[in-house]
Amino acid sequence: MAQILITGLDALNFMLALLLVTLGLIIIFGLMNVINMAHGELFLLGAYTVVLVTQAGGSFWIALVAAPLVLAGLGLVIEELVIRHVYHRFIDTILATWGLSLTIKQAIVIAFGPTAQQIDSPLPATVRFLGVGYPAYRLFIMAIAVAAAAATFALFHRTRLGLAARAVIANRYSASSLGINTRRMDRLTFAFGAALAGLAGAVMAPLMSVDPQMGVGFLIPAFLSILIGGAGSLFGAVLGTALIAGGSTIVASVWTQIAAQVVVFGLAIVVIRLFPHGLTGGRR
Amino acid sequence: MLRVAGLAAGYADGGIVLDGIDLEVDAAESVALLGRNGMGKTTLLRAIMGHLRPVAGDVVFEGRSIGGWPPFAVANAGIGYVPQGREIFNEFTVEENLVLGVLGTAGFRARVPEAVYARFPLLAERHRQKAGTMSGGEQQQLAIARALASRPRLLLLDEPTEGLQPSIVRSLAQTLAEIARSDRLSLLVVEQNLEFVQSLTTRCLFIENGRIVDQVDTSRLRADQAILERYLSL
Repeated sequence: MAQILITGLDALNFMLALLLVTLGLIIIFGLMNVINMAHGELFLLGAYTVVLVTQAGGSFWIALVAAPLVLAGLGLVIEELVIRHVYHRFIDTILATWGLSLTIKQAIVIAFGPTAQQIDSPLPATVRFLGVGYPAYRLFIMAIAVAAAAATFALFHRTRLGLAARAVIANRYSASSLGINTRRMDRLTFAFGAALAGLAGAVMAPLMSVDPQMGVGFLIPAFLSILIGGAGSLFGAVLGTALIAGGSTIVASVWTQIAAQVVVFGLAIVVIRLFPHGLTGGRR
Repeated sequence: MLRVAGLAAGYADGGIVLDGIDLEVDAAESVALLGRNGMGKTTLLRAIMGHLRPVAGDVVFEGRSIGGWPPFAVANAGIGYVPQGREIFNEFTVEENLVLGVLGTAGFRARVPEAVYARFPLLAERHRQKAGTMSGGEQQQLAIARALASRPRLLLLDEPTEGLQPSIVRSLAQTLAEIARSDRLSLLVVEQNLEFVQSLTTRCLFIENGRIVDQVDTSRLRADQAILERYLSL
């Protein structure tokens, strides 16, 4: 019983961190029609922001605040230098962002070396939670992720800025005819998506071995989540990440990590066969 | 107030091409743009809005050269656009659609101006309804109200009567004529419905193969059978 609860909490943990990455991807794809292959590296840069700050003697908590801000700034730079020149050429965006992903990875190798870095858990305590011992820091991650995801939903569905963004997603042509500055929306969106990925990377850093390959481990499940949940809505991201993260965590706990991958890919293939536009594909 | 001079534009895939358009619309003037299908009427409105980049020539609005500006900048300069097929946001409420009409100029504290609801009471009544669930005539009202919400000085309308019942067409013409008079709004209307053209505009331009080839006062339109035959095959 205790083991089931812990597996469930681990699954929820993974799902919420994955949700932050997926929300960024889905917003960027929805608004700019750009499949950001470098999104995993934005996650990676979030984690390395923590490495950099803690190595310089700063506390983890400062790093946690700094990471999304640093990534938002980097997002603006990347949008200006790369994305805006290619976003109307769909295939080129995949190549350009893939190139960007390789560049970032190699830059990290040059700056920090290819080996893994460890970040000490900032909350080493274990708390009793529903009768089982569970690391306090993992609970903290869930709280942060829920707060960030809720803030994203509120931003998109409760504010004028979000309304403008949803209008550009629904019909870029009409939105621009009405005077909505689509350039500014593109910039803000990319920076916002990058900040979410950076926050996810920073918050996950103490749980993972921080190395130049860690981004891929989140990019692929994030893409699968979008394929399963549907690219048309933020709710699709919730559904997709729940299935992918839940499925892989549960299978890995009773079987092996490899089996989990096989099952998750199999699940994705079946869902995509039955719902080509994802489970929320009908709603747009 | 609007002057288009030698405007040439086309699509990347080689669609309809504007081949040196010259036209002027005065303040508070209503002008109809007539011509057979495929002659470049819609393309011209899209080019004025900035959805197509001019290859040659210029668009001057209130003394400013706006040729080559992005669409949002053209809109915020004071040109409203009601595209063919209305292009309202079906999944959004009536109110959200109207807010989007003022977001560009009013910024992120935008609200629907009282004047819009006062002029279109039906939309005030339905403000929480999803726009896609309204009838065609109601959707057209919404598209026009949305374009007027930011108080433009020039309104471009592309086939506003398409798919509407005759009674609704008449009331639409009446509403637009009233607004144009009270707000000193200029209109440039692409339209097939001659009755609508006659009740709303004072001058008709004829477009053929991407050029303005002729013009006539709307009052003389019916009498001039030759011109209707030549440019509209009526």
